[in-house]
Amino acid sequence: MTQATDMRPSVPMDADIIIVGCGPAGMTAAIELAEANRSVIVLDMQPTPGGQIFRNLEDNISQQSSDRQALLAALGPAYRAGADLIRRFRASSRIDYRPLTTVWEVRPDGTVGWLRGMDAGYLRATTVILAHGAMERPVPFPGWTLPGVMTAGSVQTLLKAGNLKPTGNVVLAGTGPLLLLLATQLHKLGVKPTLIARTDRFSDGLRAMRYLRRNGLLPVVKGLGWLAQLKRSGVRMTSGVSDLAAEGERKVEAVSFTVKGRRVRQPCDLLVVHDGIVPAIDIPNGAGLALQWDQTNASWRPRTTSDGLASSALPPDLQPERCVVRITGDARRIGGAEATIAHGRLTAQAILAELRKGDGISSKSQQAVDRTLSVRPFLDAAFPPGLSAKLPDDNTIVCRCEELTAGALREKIRAGFGNMDALRGETRCGMGPCQGRNCMITAARLIEEDRGACGSTPPVFRGRPPIRPLPLGALAGLTGLDPSATELLTLEDKPEHDVEATSDVPAE
Amino acid sequence: MFSPIAPLTHSITVYLDDQPISASKGESVAACLLRAGVPFNRLTPVSGAPRLPYCMIGQCFDCLVEIDGIGNQQACLTIVRDRMRVRRQNGAAIALEHSAQ
Repeated sequence: MTQATDMRPSVPMDADIIIVGCGPAGMTAAIELAEANRSVIVLDMQPTPGGQIFRNLEDNISQQSSDRQALLAALGPAYRAGADLIRRFRASSRIDYRPLTTVWEVRPDGTVGWLRGMDAGYLRATTVILAHGAMERPVPFPGWTLPGVMTAGSVQTLLKAGNLKPTGNVVLAGTGPLLLLLATQLHKLGVKPTLIARTDRFSDGLRAMRYLRRNGLLPVVKGLGWLAQLKRSGVRMTSGVSDLAAEGERKVEAVSFTVKGRRVRQPCDLLVVHDGIVPAIDIPNGAGLALQWDQTNASWRPRTTSDGLASSALPPDLQPERCVVRITGDARRIGGAEATIAHGRLTAQAILAELRKGDGISSKSQQAVDRTLSVRPFLDAAFPPGLSAKLPDDNTIVCRCEELTAGALREKIRAGFGNMDALRGETRCGMGPCQGRNCMITAARLIEEDRGACGSTPPVFRGRPPIRPLPLGALAGLTGLDPSATELLTLEDKPEHDVEATSDVPAE
Repeated sequence: MFSPIAPLTHSITVYLDDQPISASKGESVAACLLRAGVPFNRLTPVSGAPRLPYCMIGQCFDCLVEIDGIGNQQACLTIVRDRMRVRRQNGAAIALEHSAQ
């Protein structure tokens, strides 16, 4: 254990660095820091290292059965490529890896609230790295809450870690490399999608050509390979679709959409949707860190320096002396596995330089970040957000938790609840278990629609801890509390006269 | 909607609404329920609509179930244990109906 070296001498530090998330970015940073003799705690929600991209990789490569070999072959070499990183992560004795652990609070001063089972507490470190990754862009459309409507990422998770593949009529709808990758993976596993309904158009691909860079050619060639393969296999594909809707009573029974001015209906058992990937901003927003609007990716992302240092957006009286949170990987900026590995290394080097333990950021590391991100402008242009391009109609559910429709929100916004927190307080939008993860962007856009504001930074719900559910039993037993910041309240604080008043009541 | 890629190995028993079902060691409760083919894991508290897992990475909170007596657990983030007791959630509307009777 390392002793405190900063401005909070009363509370001992639990580690030099706490890393939230154990995907490629988090693992890379952890390995770099541990090799420089820093103590590292890694907190992750999943049971094994790898993040979503290398999900369950250790288990899949350890099994020799032909089924697993077929699965590995279908998932492709990019999945297997994580094996060495995971091995090095596991081998480091200076990394205190804590799986199945949820983070429900991060403070800019380096305090992290965690939950594992029914145990919870706070940990502190000189530096906190957020490497908690991305999520799929939430897209409300009619019927998106029906059983049998799932995201592309969720189906891929079931392939990697659930030993499950879809059956029956499978329709894929939306846009983005992940949708096409999943389609090829499914096909290799003997699941031929009935239809791939793409929102992107041929013209998007043409427009994207001018963003092609030599360093970004390989991923593009790979993508064209997937398309060629799907075409050869006779998978039906249509592009330029809009107005997607899932139909059904208790589960999805059909999907319909508009293409070339015509309404198409296709029966299905599973509708897989995807509209690109965005940084998960739940932790940064809950920590009061500054966010910015990324117009090309149509998403929020945390405002950071190029080496990942975040800044606090809290009001002056809540400002920490110094913000010690850094953000890396897809949580900072969408880039994919190689880009997150490159930036994870760069972030670790920046931290070591700050601790005067390293030579600082090497030019090689900086070049790796630039190289791995060079394909992004092409991808952003080739696969623009499609399902979310238009705001939902009045009957579509926006808030999945509280089942609030766009119409209900529009009515309240028109009635004067025109800022995010007022709208949340009035309607409960964003107050359910998901805490706004799925509805925040749409609620913000509905407010902008009412204001006639376009192209500005959409407003956010004020995030407050706990940002994930914390059982009362776990809260009651919190460890790692800061004694100087803890106030003890007991029953003795209750006014005395309450007791006297009740004694006057005659006994029955 | 889903079928196993490989035959179940290291099979353990989980109780779903008191009925035994097999689960594969190390898998999530959500994967186990989808393999079992349940039509829903919860009915929503507002309208009683059925829901199944949507995102599988802990963001959407649609896979909520009761696990070993504790409600609102994320099935996609919980790993099955032998003899685990999983209950589907039947929504506040139905719970209130029962308490009114």
